[in-house]
This record gives sequence, C-alpha cells and structure tokens, in this order.
Amino acid sequence: MSPRNISAIASRELAFFFNSPIAYIAITVFLAVSGVYLFVLYDFFGGNQATIRPLLEQIPLFFILYIPAITMRLVSEEKRAGTIELLSTWPVTDTEIVLGKFFGAVGFIKVTLLMSLVFPLIVSSLGTLDLGMVLGGYIGLLLLGGAYAAMGLLTSTWTKNQIVAFILAVLLCAFFYAIDGMVASFWEGGRDAFAFLSFRAHFANIARGVLDSRDIIFYLSVMVVALALSVQSLQARNWK
Amino acid sequence: MIEVKGLSKAYGELEALREVSFSIERGEIVGFLGPNGAGKSTTMKILTGYLPQSAGSVSVDGKDIGEDSLSVRARIGYLPESTPLYTEMLVYDYLAYVAQIRAITKSEIHDRILETTRLCGLEERLGQEIGTLSKGYRQRVGLAQALLHRPDILILDEPTSGLDPNQIVEIRNLIKSLGEERTIILSTHNLPEVMATCNRMLIVHNGALVADGTPAELQAREEENPRVRLVVRGATGDDIDKLRDLEGVEAVDAGVTVEDGATAFEVSAVRGRDARPALLELVSNQGWELVEIHRLVLDLEGIFRKLTKDV
Repeated sequence: MSPRNISAIASRELAFFFNSPIAYIAITVFLAVSGVYLFVLYDFFGGNQATIRPLLEQIPLFFILYIPAITMRLVSEEKRAGTIELLSTWPVTDTEIVLGKFFGAVGFIKVTLLMSLVFPLIVSSLGTLDLGMVLGGYIGLLLLGGAYAAMGLLTSTWTKNQIVAFILAVLLCAFFYAIDGMVASFWEGGRDAFAFLSFRAHFANIARGVLDSRDIIFYLSVMVVALALSVQSLQARNWK
Repeated sequence: MIEVKGLSKAYGELEALREVSFSIERGEIVGFLGPNGAGKSTTMKILTGYLPQSAGSVSVDGKDIGEDSLSVRARIGYLPESTPLYTEMLVYDYLAYVAQIRAITKSEIHDRILETTRLCGLEERLGQEIGTLSKGYRQRVGLAQALLHRPDILILDEPTSGLDPNQIVEIRNLIKSLGEERTIILSTHNLPEVMATCNRMLIVHNGALVADGTPAELQAREEENPRVRLVVRGATGDDIDKLRDLEGVEAVDAGVTVEDGATAFEVSAVRGRDARPALLELVSNQGWELVEIHRLVLDLEGIFRKLTKDV
C-alpha cells in the first residue's frame, strides 16, 4: 500500500470540492442550519447556560444529509464518466483508491468541523464554556462523520448514479442512527438490546463530553467494515 | 514481448472473445481491426488489466497480467475508448495528478509534463479546463496521460474516432513517431488508419482472430486471381478474343473505349500467374500503342469486408 497514491487521490478529491462552489455552499448551509438551531429553535438564550451540548446532540442528525451529499459522487461519478477505467488500470490498488477517496471526504468533514468552531467561540464569549466537552464532542463528531463517510463511500461504489448513491447513503446512515429507537417502537426491550449498533446511542456519552473507548472502537469498526466492503465492491469487476 | 494465449471472455451468455492467441514483439505497431462489437475493446480491456479474462492468459515479458498486475500496469500506457477524463480539472493539474500516481519524482514532474505536452502539441493548453477543450485536444490529453511515464507499451482504443481529418493526420503522425521506440497496439474500424500507421494487423470478427499479418501479406494471401488493367490505342472491343487466347489468362472483361480511341481491358490471370509479360508481347506484336498497364490490387477494404462478412 502506497501512502503516496492514497494522498494523491485524497488531495484530488479535496481539491475538487474547493475548486467548485459546492464546498462553499454546503459549508454555508451547514453553518446556517446549525446557527438557527442553536440560537433560535433551541432557545439558547432562554436556557441561560453557556453550553453547546444541544448543538453537539443535533449535528449527528444534520450529518445524515450532509455527509452523503459529500460522498455520493466519490466513485459513482468515476463510473458514470468512465474515468474508473483509467484509474483502475493505473498502478494503484483498489484499497488505495478506497482509502484515498475516504480520506478526501474526511478532510472535507474536518474543514466543516473547523468552521463550526465558530459556535463554541460565540458561546465562550457569553459565559464560561466547558472546553473538555467541546474537545471530546468534536473528536466524537469526527469519528461519527468518518463512519457516515465510509458508508456513503460504500453506496457510491454500488451505482453510477449520484442521486441513488445519496439516497441509499441517507437511508443507511438513518437506519444505524436510529435503529434502537425503531426497534423500541414495537418492542420496548429492543432499545437496550440494539443500542450497541446505534450511532445515536454511541453518541450520548460523547455529547456529554465523555469519550469512552467503547464508542471510539464502535465508530472505528464501522469505518473498517464499510471500507472493506467498498474495496470488495470495487473488486467485483474482477469476478470472472 | 506480449504473449496472448487462448484468450476468451464471456459476458454472461454472450461470448465476446473466443480462444484468441497472438504474440507481439517489441517495437511493433499493431492495428487491431474489426467491425464494431467484434471484441477489440474487450481485448484491450483485458490487456490493460481492467477486465479479467474468462479463460486463457496474457503475459508481458513472462509476467502474468493477473498475478503481477501492478508491475505490468506500470509499464503500460492506456487510452480507453472515448477518452474518459476529469473534465473539471486543468490540463496541468490533471497531468500532475497522473504523474504522482505514476510515481514520477516530485522534482521531475514539472519538466516531464512540459516534455510530454510538447510532444502531444498541448503546451498552449496547460492552464485550460479539460471540459472546455475540443475533442481533438481532449484526445491529446488522453495521449499525454498515457505517455507521461514513458511506458514501453501503449494501448490505444480508437485513438482517432470522432476527430476531424486534420486532427486524425496529426494524431497518426504522433503515433507513428512514438512507435519508433515503443510497442503500440491500437484498435480501429478505420482501414486507412491501419495502412497509415501500423506494420502489422490483427483482424477480429465475432470474437475470433481471422487474420494476422502485414497489410501486404494479407493482400497477397487474399488475392485469388491477380487482375491487370490494360489500356491500349489501336485495338477495338473485338480484339478481346486475342487477349483471351493468351496463356495464363483466365478471363477478360469487355474492352471499353476510355479516351480518344484508347480501349481498356481488365484481365484476370490464372491463380499464381502474372499475365503482364504475355500482354506486353501481344501489344507489341499487334502494333498497338500502350497507354497504361498496371496490376489491380484488392484493396484492404475488400479484404476486410471479405473476412468480416457474416456467413
């Protein structure tokens, strides 16, 4: 595995976002929605508390739409345009392609999160902010975002249609986000039984500012599984 | 250098290639010829490692395309059909990206891009977005992409399709000049292209190899009765029997008057015989004035149609 190939592919993906208006529009919309949620819908000022916890709890929900929109074109566009044929006859392995594209998307998520630091900054100017919670929350968001991105990349390998990839990724993310709640709607005991699979349940501690190794391992495992399946899906063309 | 043995490929029920075998030596420019859907692109996709074969083997200098995939791919430059490119990228950025993946050292990348784009006549377009280029220039970007790492094998799938006549000539000349030090395999359904650029042709039809040789060899092989066109002054259409009686002549097409009193005959010789000496002797014995005599060769188009005709 060549880090050089992975970083070349990742940089190209990042450059694609920032050379087109898409990145700026997406980040602006994301910040606007977050700001409206925190300061208007949530009634931040009525709560009289300098905390960004309500926002940390909400971002995993926003990400269900935001991250599939970033990842939908990663492989599907290469399939549609036929560039996958060149990419896969260059001396790069399918694993390098998948990791490169994944890190490109993660890079974009990092930029988004960096921009959203504006909210903790505003809040900290209004009162004393729990910095540990902010740090823990952001690490958690990056892990969760990575898990979404890996699933979005996976659905992008399944089709040459970006919209199909987007819808499948949203469904997949929403399913794993709320699986415990969905099971609980017809079997109350299922909430605890399925919490181990639920993105929301694994985020509960993180939103409180507690980074538990179980949650970290969970998100990392989701990434590994989804990325491995993506490599598998790319290699499917090698079936005789 | 390239050894293809018993190559077959099936897409589900459809057999795209059946037991194709050939070998290509270093420095050859091979034209892969066949009607649309004959199996040209499939063969190229297998040679470049994009598709796996259903049966058979491909090796480059003894290395199997499946087992040593990465090292074989590193030696090949490939231009797929319809030249897929990242249209949102600038020409320079795209080639810099390819250079990174081709493991060209950072300090060398800039010079290599300049050198390659100069070769492809692209140096004026380095700062242009690929999507805004004309078809001819996109084709050059595709070629530059294939040439950047100085591969010793070039595989070009329909490199001139969709280009205008001037662009076609330019790309052909480029391919010819590249062929001086590289092995090139190009596919086309365009015969003049093969005539102009290749020193060997492989004709595929319905997934099978139906001919393999130089254009001249194929012409010689496929020609059944060498035909000669004779134009003389002083003879009339009635003299046709004198021609028919000559030794080695099988048939003569009726003489027609072509220009101020000259008559043209088309003579078919017996297989393997040259009728020209006998004809010339007759012309001088009769006191006719010779205007023209030449051998009619079955052109490649004729051969191509004959070989790829569905029976």
